[in-house]
Amino acid sequence: MSRCGLRQDLRTIGALMRRGLNEILRVPGGAIPGVLAPTIFMVGLSASFGEAARLPGFSADDFRTFIVPVGMLQGAGFTGAATGVNLARDIQQGWFDRLMLAPAPRPVLLAGVVGSACLRCLLPATFLLIVAFALGVSWPGVGALVLAALLIMGLAAAAACYATVLALHFRTQQAAPLMQIGTFASILFTTAYVPRELLSEWLRAIADINPMTHVLEGVRQGFTGDVTWASTWPALLALAGLVAAFGALAVRAMQRQGC
Amino acid sequence: MRAASVALARRALRNFLRRPQLLAPLVLFPTLLLVVNVGGLERTTTLPGFPRVDGFLDFQLAAAMTQSLLLGGVSTGIAMALDIEGGFFDRLVASPTPRLAIVLGRVLAASVIAALQIIYFLVLGAIFGASVKGGVVGVLCVLAIGIVAGTGFSALGVMIALRARNASTVQGIFPLVLVVLFVSSAFFPANLLSSPADVVAAYNPLSYIADGLRQPIAFGNALAPMLEGLAAAAGVAIAATSLSVLALRGRLRQT
Amino acid sequence: MDGIDLEVAQGQVFGFLGPNGAGKTTTVRMLVTLLRPTGGHARVAGFDVAQQPAAVRRRIGVALQDAALDPLMTGSELVELQATLHGIAPRAVRARGAELIERVGLSQAADRRVGTYSGGMRRRLDLAMALIHEPEVLFLDEPTTGLDPTSRLMLWDEVRRLRDEGTTVFLTTQYLEEADQLADRLGIIAAGRIVARGTPASLKAEVGRPHLDLVLADSSDLPRARDVVASFGDHRPATDGCHLSIGLEHGAADIAPILRALDDAGFAVAELELKQPTLDDVFLAKTGEHLEGAAQPAPEPELV
Repeated sequence: MSRCGLRQDLRTIGALMRRGLNEILRVPGGAIPGVLAPTIFMVGLSASFGEAARLPGFSADDFRTFIVPVGMLQGAGFTGAATGVNLARDIQQGWFDRLMLAPAPRPVLLAGVVGSACLRCLLPATFLLIVAFALGVSWPGVGALVLAALLIMGLAAAAACYATVLALHFRTQQAAPLMQIGTFASILFTTAYVPRELLSEWLRAIADINPMTHVLEGVRQGFTGDVTWASTWPALLALAGLVAAFGALAVRAMQRQGC
Repeated sequence: MRAASVALARRALRNFLRRPQLLAPLVLFPTLLLVVNVGGLERTTTLPGFPRVDGFLDFQLAAAMTQSLLLGGVSTGIAMALDIEGGFFDRLVASPTPRLAIVLGRVLAASVIAALQIIYFLVLGAIFGASVKGGVVGVLCVLAIGIVAGTGFSALGVMIALRARNASTVQGIFPLVLVVLFVSSAFFPANLLSSPADVVAAYNPLSYIADGLRQPIAFGNALAPMLEGLAAAAGVAIAATSLSVLALRGRLRQT
Repeated sequence: MDGIDLEVAQGQVFGFLGPNGAGKTTTVRMLVTLLRPTGGHARVAGFDVAQQPAAVRRRIGVALQDAALDPLMTGSELVELQATLHGIAPRAVRARGAELIERVGLSQAADRRVGTYSGGMRRRLDLAMALIHEPEVLFLDEPTTGLDPTSRLMLWDEVRRLRDEGTTVFLTTQYLEEADQLADRLGIIAAGRIVARGTPASLKAEVGRPHLDLVLADSSDLPRARDVVASFGDHRPATDGCHLSIGLEHGAADIAPILRALDDAGFAVAELELKQPTLDDVFLAKTGEHLEGAAQPAPEPELV
């Protein structure tokens, strides 16, 4: 007979999170594209568009500093999307049936899968920050980094839930582009490149209603200035909303698997 | 040889159009970047030193085209690697199919897809207000550069696939493709690039290809940049096709 | 599925026999809560599969047709993960995992990644994972498909041992011999329906008679040969051009007269075999067709 209760649920989540880490620890070279891509994006964008920082009204010392947070969010988004791709692979290979046969409640199983994404997203972010600091981006302070870490972990969770819904619907890795494009697009249709005032009218309108804008600004504040509650609470609220919305959809999708 | 190449090209085209995961990145991702770049960086056209254009879209279309063509090369490589992994390549090698047709077929299909990619972005640009200032001649030039460049990038993809032999390695090339593109004048004028990107861009064939595509769209026809673009594209195509033929020979020696 | 009614007593091995596509796996997936039934109800280990799926999952072990394993993990890690998911106390996880690994004969390979395992090893690991939490009911979906004869026999012994220990086993198979050897009771399924139900012995007795299989030296006038032996029993469908098969009215006593009749008519018999009723005969009687597994050559054995 199995043991029920919170302690067992936590054990289940921990075991599934450990399994999720195998994707970066045991797949030779498999993690590299996901870890490298946000850094490449940051370095490349700042090489191409660096002069944009000379625009009047640009709120950072240089373009690279301004887009470091974009890279961190991209890393979280890619990690979340990869969670969905891995789940689709598990479905195709049959391992997912084994998971569905476990007596744990479906939300607990989902938490284990999503939890691994929260941990894994710290890897591309760490690599990005190391390169960014080496290239001269100034140190934002421990508080700002801790807040940034919390926000990107939350974003990875939301992205993983979104990708999980797609994986459970399409049940094939061919849905990977949908998962990746979804997270990628939502991060770019924000104040990714320039402050709000410098965006085109139509992009400003989208950025204003895109919750990801608040999350981005919450991560960015320490890099371009000071961390304030005024910039932090909208980020936390937006993230809570994203996690709640996609989490609910993902739980529903999991519960519809079998009985 | 011709019949075999055409038959293999037809197959490659058919399979390509049936696999959404190969098709989607070619247009979705560059379109997305194009939209965001234009929406986010429109004001950069006011920076001192930025060439006179009607809008940032006019400038960025060439970047989107170049990016799309590069991703086409990656997709061709992935398709080739899937053929190798799945055994179809061995089946071809064991048949009377001329060896060269294995590469030429892929490259031929890629040229058709490249034409479609260019047309897509021209139409997209037209819908959102960017016209080709060079007129019909300009459109033909853009098509020519695009097809030759797309062919070259696909030959590169084939070469990588023949050496790597598995699709996930080829897919891992994607970030590197972005690197090469960023250190060119595809996205931003060469004179406004940060160091050391500006130095690299001067020697990067993608700069000349992108500038060649951009000239007739944003500025009107001018022989020098358009010829340079065509020459750079042809250079890439010839070098890449030669390398892929060498890679094919190397692989056949092992089997 | 077209209506499945069955009952499996506790501690019994129930065999679910049918050809590919009959609905065996679909039935199993419904009973183990992986597929929501569109009608009817089912209770496993005392709990309703649709209303109380978690309770069902706690009490069942499942080894599906395709071994559900993670190639990146080692055998030990997988078994221990399964133990954790099923709530085995942390202190007991490692010991219990080692015990099951040894039981299925994978101790040597326990620390290797599953991606390096052969098909037979994967099946054994899958079984270990199904047994880790001592389930009341064990579902085995075609567990020996693709296994070499030695591995198949090992698995049969394991099934018998589990039955002796009181575990209820629901076994699907397309192999007649497997059903015959292992099942206490059988359900034969075709096209989504159960066409026969009972013990192997009772089902075969229903069909009744032994039959004589003959191979003629010259098959050029097979229809005339059939006419010659028509009076001795019912003619059965032949599987190839020089094969005669006759259900015998009076058993072995009919053999000599049949041979004499054929000899008198000028036919030489190259081979003959007296066969007792098989489950394939049962299937044939119920559906008019041979069971696929009986008609196909034996599967290519895979070394484990």
